[in-house]
Amino acid sequence: MLKAGDAAPDFKVKDHLGNEWTLAKLAGKNAVIWFYPKADTPG
Amino acid sequence: MILGASFDTPAENKAFAEKFSFNFPLLCDTTRAMGLAYGATEAGASGGAKRIAVIIGPDGKVKQFVPKADSRSYPTEALKDL
Repeated sequence: MLKAGDAAPDFKVKDHLGNEWTLAKLAGKNAVIWFYPKADTPG
Repeated sequence: MILGASFDTPAENKAFAEKFSFNFPLLCDTTRAMGLAYGATEAGASGGAKRIAVIIGPDGKVKQFVPKADSRSYPTEALKDL
């Protein structure tokens, strides 16, 4: 499990519009990455 | 900023984003590699990602790991803390 102070794991994935995201793209900002099980499920 | 993430396809997530007018990107981790690295799933597991959240600071380090981010309102709540 990740904990405060760990280096965030790098990633390379596309979003729903086809834009590519990597960890480097988040540099300089606070970012919340929020995982959910399945698109459009109650929560 | 907020990034949603799931193992869904871009088409599934696009429909989700449009239905709820989400104004943030939904990452489509179809290979599950990112989910595995972030602890949203385990090797060999099937099914969807766990409802977790990770807050990353401007330096690329984890500020907070939230093992149970289980409501649709979570992203908005998390933003208030930043």
